[in-house]
Amino acid sequence: METAALIQTLSDPLGLPFYPQVFAALMVLTFALHIAFVNLAVGTTALALWGFVRGTPEWKTLAGASAKAATASVSGAIVLGVAPLLFVQTLYDPFWYASNLLSAAWVIGFVFVMMAAYGASYLFLGGGRAGAAFGAAALLLYLGAGSLMHAFSMQALAPEKWLGWYAGAGTAATSGTALHAFEPLRFLHFLVPAGTAAGLYLLLRAWYLRARPDMDREALGRSAKLGAGLAFWATAAQALVGFAWLLTVPQALAFYAHPAFLAALAAGLALVAYLGKLALLDADPAGAAVPAAGGTLGVILAMAAAREALRGALLGRFGFSIAAHRVTVDWGSTALFLATFALGGSVLAWVLTLAFQAGRVEGRFTPGPRVAAWGRVSLGLLAGWLLVVAGYGLSVTLRARGL
Amino acid sequence: MYPIWEVPHLTAGMVLGLIATFHILPSHLSVSAMWLNVWLERKAVLEGRPELMPFVRRYAKFILVFCYVFGSLSGVGIWFAATAASPRGISALIHNFVWGWATEWVFFLIEVSGIFVYAYTFDKLDERTHLRLGLVFAAASWLTMVVIVGILTFMMTPGAWNTTGAFFDGFFNQSYWPQLFFRTTSMFSIAAVYAVVVAAREPAGPARDFVVRAAGLWGLAGLALAAPCLLWYRASLPEAVRGTLDALLTPGLKAAMLWAPVVTALYFAGLAWRPRAARFVPALAAVAVLFAGIFAFERARELGRKPWVLPGYMVSSGFVVGDLPAKGAAAQLPRLASEGVLASAPFVPAGLRTVTDLNRVEAGRMVALLECSACHTLDKAGVRPLPALVRRVGLSTPEDLAAWLDGLGAYPYMPPFIGNDADKRALAAFLAKAAE
Repeated sequence: METAALIQTLSDPLGLPFYPQVFAALMVLTFALHIAFVNLAVGTTALALWGFVRGTPEWKTLAGASAKAATASVSGAIVLGVAPLLFVQTLYDPFWYASNLLSAAWVIGFVFVMMAAYGASYLFLGGGRAGAAFGAAALLLYLGAGSLMHAFSMQALAPEKWLGWYAGAGTAATSGTALHAFEPLRFLHFLVPAGTAAGLYLLLRAWYLRARPDMDREALGRSAKLGAGLAFWATAAQALVGFAWLLTVPQALAFYAHPAFLAALAAGLALVAYLGKLALLDADPAGAAVPAAGGTLGVILAMAAAREALRGALLGRFGFSIAAHRVTVDWGSTALFLATFALGGSVLAWVLTLAFQAGRVEGRFTPGPRVAAWGRVSLGLLAGWLLVVAGYGLSVTLRARGL
Repeated sequence: MYPIWEVPHLTAGMVLGLIATFHILPSHLSVSAMWLNVWLERKAVLEGRPELMPFVRRYAKFILVFCYVFGSLSGVGIWFAATAASPRGISALIHNFVWGWATEWVFFLIEVSGIFVYAYTFDKLDERTHLRLGLVFAAASWLTMVVIVGILTFMMTPGAWNTTGAFFDGFFNQSYWPQLFFRTTSMFSIAAVYAVVVAAREPAGPARDFVVRAAGLWGLAGLALAAPCLLWYRASLPEAVRGTLDALLTPGLKAAMLWAPVVTALYFAGLAWRPRAARFVPALAAVAVLFAGIFAFERARELGRKPWVLPGYMVSSGFVVGDLPAKGAAAQLPRLASEGVLASAPFVPAGLRTVTDLNRVEAGRMVALLECSACHTLDKAGVRPLPALVRRVGLSTPEDLAAWLDGLGAYPYMPPFIGNDADKRALAAFLAKAAE
């Protein structure tokens, strides 16, 4: 069977309930946030381990804070990973499912590796030598989980090889225990930014905590310097790895000339220059923590968009395009999501605002009247959502019964 | 059809079942626990009972670690396992309900950020704001259930979706409300069981007694309200589903569904009567009993919808057997009946696409992988092993078995045989060989 026909056969006949470009935009956005948290989790875990090895009181403080940040980052990575996982199945079902089935035992193994890693991250918080051993185990397991996910993604991009992998030996290979594709430079391109994330964490932490009078400003200043250096050197290394990886992309695609790639490249190089200035010239890099983090997020977003463009080009070789999905617009469920996204975003922002404001003061924090009112509105929004959805649900139910 | 994942003795479907069953423990806790916790925190704050706060803090930490390490990941695990067990089934659900899952995800975002902020700000936020934060978490967490129940119930009772293809026609189906009320009421019992596990580690005293008694009463109330909801749910199921349940429910599952609530109710009554008697090990045993009850219910829910993944549209082997004109989807059945499964399915070794005297048994095994392995192991022993089932039917020749395959759809919980004559004869040859 020709590869194009194979993909056609596997594609889900139900089509999409809305335009594929919207799902693609949501996938790029949520993937960018997901991978940022993945890098933060890996970076803060490694930083905490390094702090433990150094062992000075200042490093121990940083190690404890980083290990705690790692647990929250992993949760962030998981919850933000759910959305691109959903959208990749929506847009690229043949590729994702075929790749998963070819390595199904590893797909299930991924979940248990992540459980063990995350459990170890919490045990890391216990401190001491045993805690550090758990921290090291967590780091290795996170890298293992990342390697698996990388292999699944690479396999999904090679539909012309699937049949050979599965049935090349004359019988069906049904054990799901084989991994078929791995590109070390591409994997490094995902991994090296963990250093950037750890550096930015130190910068942001110093910026955030220096508003508190009970904090040691000098120690925060030193950690900010360290963070700026780490962020710069890791991002510079990332640029080099990126160029090396580019050589592995099929030259026939001319991806090096693709506008999405060029935009990501320009943004990335600008970030390297900006972080270089912070690390090498600025006396107070913590003051620039927010623009540095914001700029990095922007670059990650540009890279995620370029990644999507590359996927389109790679799969386009087999006649596949997400634009070809049949669309039967379902306005009801589209409106449900968009409304929930808007009101849920407001509730989420209230929760994060509370955390932000409370952590910045000594002792107990009482929000101002606006944030307090926002809290009341948040509860009201959730109750309102329920009333509207349940009301509509009742009308559907009554209609179905002919009432 | 996608590549098949064969799990020796177990089946990929059972792997999915095991992960999904484990997921029940943290997921039902996460939607229920904060209601009890916020109620206790409210008492502590508004009635001046600070002695309740140590429990509230510990329970929050327990929810954070248990639900958001093992719960979140096992939830993702269900998706991965569903992919491995039934890629076409999960694909059809996602292509129909993608916005539903995305909506649930928004509440999941609030949940995850909410529990972290809640658990780490007991000493950082003023008490009333902290209470409100707990309420927001509880509400968002429960709303994930409001959404996911629409998809869960759709898999058994798709409502008017088969005709209209519309999201809400499938979502608000005939068993949606009963199941939502059943899960909502029973979740208070689940919260109560876990609360006693945490409270049992607290120092003895009036505060511990208060929490345990409150948990006992919450648990009893939850069970009392859940019982009529379960009957309502059962009544909402189509006659065919109830018939399938009667045929497939094992005595063990029936016993677990009956006795787990009875034993749990007695346990709650005992706690309400003598809260001081609460101990850690019995509390863990109560979790095990609860688990047995939930497992039996979820298993029954899965059994009841056999042979369907999406009733009227797709069977458990992933083949589309019903048209859905509203979405332009056509049944695969007629085409496969003429062209054959082996000849048409993409992931078939080249040497098995045409059945010959030399490869008949091997080709039959391939047909079994494609059509049977979602529910049956091909091994001699394990989950619904095909060789043992064939022996039980009492047929041994390929000819007799081929005739039996013709009538497969007569079993209410089995899909019809899908494929052409060559496929059928190959499968019959394999079954005859396997049962030797």
